[in-house]
Amino acid sequence: MSQDFISNPDESKEFLPRYRLFYLAIAFTFITFSMRLWFLQVIQGNELREFSEKNRLKQNKINAPRGLLLDRDGKILVENQAGFEAILSPQYIEDTEDVADIIGPILGIEPEKLVAKIQKSRRQNGPFAQVKIKDNLSRDEVFRLKHVRLETPGLEIRESIVRHYPLIEDGAQLFGYVGEISKKQLPIYNQLYKNQISFEQGDIIGKNGLEEVLEKDIRGVDGIQFLQVDAYGREANTQTPNIYGEKVHDQEPVSGSNVILTLDRDIQEAAWNSYKAQQRIGAVVAMKANGEVLSWISTPSFDPNQFSANLNATYWNQLINDPFKPLRNKVIQDYYSPGSTFKAFMAVTALQEKVITPTTIVNCPGALRFGKRLYHDSKKEGHGNITVFEALERSSNIFFFKMGISLGIDKMHNYISQLGIGTKTGIELPREVAGLMPSAAWKKAAMGEEWQPGENLSTAIGQGFVQATPLQMAVAYNTIGLEGKMFRPFIIKKIVDNSGKVVRETQPTLVKDLTQTQSNGIHIDVETFKVVKEGLRRVANGDRGTAKFLKIPGVQMAGKTGTSQVMGFSADQIYQSCMSRPIHQRHHGWFVAWAPADKPEITVAALAEHSCHGNTGAGPVVRDIIRAYYEKYHPEIIAEAIRTAKGPKPKPAEIPAVVHESEDE
Amino acid sequence: MDLNLHVEERTILKRIDWNFVWVILALNLVGLINLYSATHGPHSADVEPLFVNQIIWLVVGWSVFFITTFIDYQIVNRVALFIYILNLGAIVFTTFFGTVALGAQRWIDLGFFRYQPSETMKLALIMLMAKFLQHRSTDGPGMGVKQLLFPLLILGIPFVFIVEQPDLGTALMIAAIGGTMILFMKIRRWILAAVIGAGIVAAPIAWNYVLRDYQKNRIINFLSPTNDPRGSGYNSIQSKIAVGSGRFLGKGFRKGTQSQLEFLPERHTDFIYSVLSEEHGLIGSLTTLGLFCVLFLVGIRIASSAREKFGALLTVGILCYVFWHMFINMGMVIGLLPIVGVPLPLLSYGGSSMLTTMAGLGLVSSVAYRRYIF
Repeated sequence: MSQDFISNPDESKEFLPRYRLFYLAIAFTFITFSMRLWFLQVIQGNELREFSEKNRLKQNKINAPRGLLLDRDGKILVENQAGFEAILSPQYIEDTEDVADIIGPILGIEPEKLVAKIQKSRRQNGPFAQVKIKDNLSRDEVFRLKHVRLETPGLEIRESIVRHYPLIEDGAQLFGYVGEISKKQLPIYNQLYKNQISFEQGDIIGKNGLEEVLEKDIRGVDGIQFLQVDAYGREANTQTPNIYGEKVHDQEPVSGSNVILTLDRDIQEAAWNSYKAQQRIGAVVAMKANGEVLSWISTPSFDPNQFSANLNATYWNQLINDPFKPLRNKVIQDYYSPGSTFKAFMAVTALQEKVITPTTIVNCPGALRFGKRLYHDSKKEGHGNITVFEALERSSNIFFFKMGISLGIDKMHNYISQLGIGTKTGIELPREVAGLMPSAAWKKAAMGEEWQPGENLSTAIGQGFVQATPLQMAVAYNTIGLEGKMFRPFIIKKIVDNSGKVVRETQPTLVKDLTQTQSNGIHIDVETFKVVKEGLRRVANGDRGTAKFLKIPGVQMAGKTGTSQVMGFSADQIYQSCMSRPIHQRHHGWFVAWAPADKPEITVAALAEHSCHGNTGAGPVVRDIIRAYYEKYHPEIIAEAIRTAKGPKPKPAEIPAVVHESEDE
Repeated sequence: MDLNLHVEERTILKRIDWNFVWVILALNLVGLINLYSATHGPHSADVEPLFVNQIIWLVVGWSVFFITTFIDYQIVNRVALFIYILNLGAIVFTTFFGTVALGAQRWIDLGFFRYQPSETMKLALIMLMAKFLQHRSTDGPGMGVKQLLFPLLILGIPFVFIVEQPDLGTALMIAAIGGTMILFMKIRRWILAAVIGAGIVAAPIAWNYVLRDYQKNRIINFLSPTNDPRGSGYNSIQSKIAVGSGRFLGKGFRKGTQSQLEFLPERHTDFIYSVLSEEHGLIGSLTTLGLFCVLFLVGIRIASSAREKFGALLTVGILCYVFWHMFINMGMVIGLLPIVGVPLPLLSYGGSSMLTTMAGLGLVSSVAYRRYIF
C-alpha cells in the first residue's frame, strides 16, 4: 500500500468532541425549519391557500399608443384605432382541443390550426408565453367570446391599439408599417436603443419608412396594469383582501410624441389620384424650394393596415412576388438612368467650362459618326443649327453628344456630382441609395477597365453608368432653379411630445451654394444657371418644347423630360416601337420640373416605369401636383388666368394621344 | 487466484457505506419527481429538454460518485494545491472574460456546458483546507493568528475574485464553508470574539461600499417584503404563499398553482423547494428536510470513523458544503433568510451543482470505503 497509510489509524479520534457542534447545528436547523414550516403550512396554511387560489397579482402590459403622424396643416396621416384581440395563455388551458373547438368556430379558425399554433408556441416559448389568436376582433366576435370566457380558462379578450393608415396605399412606403418585433431584431434593437428603450418579445415596432426611423420618438412608454387573477387566470373579485396592501398602483402608459411632417395631405392625395388615374408604376416626389417634401408616392403600393392586423400570408406573398416591388420606396431606394433629364446638367457643365456660350451655334444632323459607330438623334432629320436653348427645348441628342466629346467624363463628373448625383440626399428615411455619377477613376476601380471615349456619348444623354433616384433628380433641379443653392430634402418638421413640448424641430438646411468654390475647386456662375433655366422654361413653354402641352393656366413651369432605357442602347430600336414591346421592356419616362419658372417654389420629379415617354408618362402627374399646389396656395393666380383665358380663345390643355413627333431620346 | 478475486469482490461491495448511498438516491428521486413537476405545464404531455438534461447530469453524477469512491482519497491530499491553483486561474479568467448572465460573469462557455468555476472552487477549497488543517490539533487552546494566516489566505483570494464577478452568494458560501472548517479545528477564544466584534463594525461599511444595489434591495425586502411587492420582495412573498398554501398534505403532484403559473421565478433552480412544499405539503417538506438530516448524521458517522485526520476533515468540509447550501436555500424559500441565488443540492436543476455535489459526496464515500483498509 502507499506510504500515505503509515499514519496512525486512530488519529482522527481526537475530533470526536468537535462533532457535537454539528449535531447542535443539525438539531437547530431541523427544529427551526420544522417550526417555520408548521407555521406557514398549518397555522397560516388556510389563509395562504386562499391567497394562492383566489388572490394573485398578475402583471399586464398596456401598450403605449404610438404618436400620430400629421401633415403640415395638422391633418392626420397615420393614427391609432382601438381594437380587441383574443389571447390564450397556454398555462391555464385545461384541454387544448376543447378550447380550440369552442373558440375556433367563433373566430372562423379551424380548430386543428389553433391547436397547432398553441402547441408550437408552447414548444418554442414555453407554457407561460401568451399566444395571440386573433386581433382586430369584430364586435360580434368580442361578444361571443365574452360569452364563453368563463368556461374557457386561459382565454383573454384584450383591448389593443391598432395602427391605422387612412390614406391606405397612398404613401405607404413613406410611412412604413408596424409589426411584432422578430426574434432576430430583438437583440439588434436592444443594442441600438441601449439605455433608452428595452424591447420584449411581442412588442410592436415600426418596420419601415417613418415608422421605423421615428421609433424612439413615437413609441411612448408602455404602462403596467396589475390584475387580481384566480388560479385559472381569470380576473378575480377585487374585493378579496390584497396581500400587497395598498402599495400597488397601475402605471399609465405614456403615449408617444406626435410628429408633424412637411407633407401636405391635399397635395399627396392629388398626386396619388393623378398617378392612380393614369395607372402608372413608379415614383413621384414633390418638394418646396427649401427642401420640405410635400408629397411622396411610390407605386404599385400596399395597404399598411394589413400589417397592423394579423398579416395574412397570401397578401404577403403577393407583395413580395410582385415584379414591380410594391414594398420598395422607389423615391430613394431604386435608381434609374436619368435619360434626357441629364441634359440640363450637361448644359450647366458645358457653359461653365466655356465649351459653348449661350450664342454658340452647333450643327446637329440626324446622326453622328464617332469612332466606328453611328450615333442617332431621336429625330431622323436632325435639328439643324441650334443653340443650347433649342437643344434643351427639343432635347437634341447630337448637341449633347458633341458636348460630351468636348468635355470628357472627368469634367462631367466634377460638376454633376456637385449637383448631388451619386450622393445620398440625407433625407431621414432608411435605406436610401446613392446612385452613381461615373468617372474614369471609378471605372478603373470598379471594373478594372479604362474609360472608353464612346462612353462619353452615352453618359452625355444620361444613359450608361449614370444612375439617380427620383429624389436626387428633384434636388438637382431645385438647385438649378435656385441658381446654385442646394437645400437638403426633409420630411420631419416637428416632433411634439404629449405635453405639447416641442422635442425637435427641423429647419431648412442649405447644403451648399454652387456659386461659391466647392471642395473640388469648381463653381458655377449665376449666369450659367440663368441660361439653363431659360432652356428648361422653353421645354414646357416653347413652340417646339417636348412638354409644351403640359400647361397650367397662369403658371409657367420649367423642366425636362427624359427616357430611361431599360434594354440595351441601340438608337434604331428606341423610337420605333417602344409601346409595342412587352411592358417590362418598355422605357421609363421622366419629368422633372419646377414652378414658377423664374424662381421655384415647388419642384417635382416623377418617374413612370415602362411608360415609354417622359412627357405623357410622367408629365401629367407633375402638372397635376403643381396645379394642386397653386390651387391651394395661390388660388388667385389660377382663377385670374382662367378668367382671362375664357375671353378670346377657350382652349383647354389637352394631352395629345400620341406625341412621338416630339419624343426625346 | 480465483478464490482471491472472489473475496475481493465481496469486500468491495461490503465496504461501501450503503446507508449513505440510499439517502443520496432518495434525495435524487425526490428531486427528479419534483423537477418534472416544476418544468412541465399542468397538462403538458411533452418531456421538457430541461428534465432530460437533469437525468443525464444525474447519470454522470453517479458515475463520478462511484469512480471517486474507489479512488484512494489520499491522492486528493497530493493534488489539492494543484487543483486549487488551476481553479483559481479559471475564476480569475471568468472574472475578466466570462459570459455575462443576469448581470454577472460567472460562466466559461465550453459549448456543450457552461462551466462555473466558482462552483468547483468550493470543492477545491475544501480539499486544500483539509490538506492543511490535518497537521493541526484540536487538543489545546486552538489556532492562533500565525496558524490562521494560511487558511485565511486560501479562503480570501477566491472570495475577493468571486465578489468581483459579482456573485456575492457564492462568495459568502465559500466563506461559510471555509470558515466552518477553520472553526471545527478550533481557534483561540479571543480571536473568535475579535472576529465577531469586527463583523459588527464592518457591516455598515460593507453596506455602504461593497454591496451592490440589488443586493441591498434583497436585504431590505427581506426585512420588509411588502415594501416592493412587485420588485425584489416579490419572490419572497410568492415563495411563502407557495409553501404555506401546500398545507399539511399539499396540492398534489403537478397541481401547485403557484409553481405551475408564473408566480414563482426560477422555480426549477433556486425555488425548487417551494414547488415541493406547495405540492406535497408539510409531509413532503419535512420528509425532504429529514432526509438531509439523515445524510448529515450518516456523514458525521463516516467522519468520526475515518482512518486519519485528512479523511475526517474532507468529510467535514463536504458536509459543510451540503449543509450550508441546504440551510441558506431552504431558509430563503421559507422566508427565514433573504433571497440569495443558491441552489438546493441534489434537488435543484443544474449540471454544475449536481456534478460538484456528487463528486464531493463521492469523496465522503471514499473515506467511508477506506476505513476498512489497513
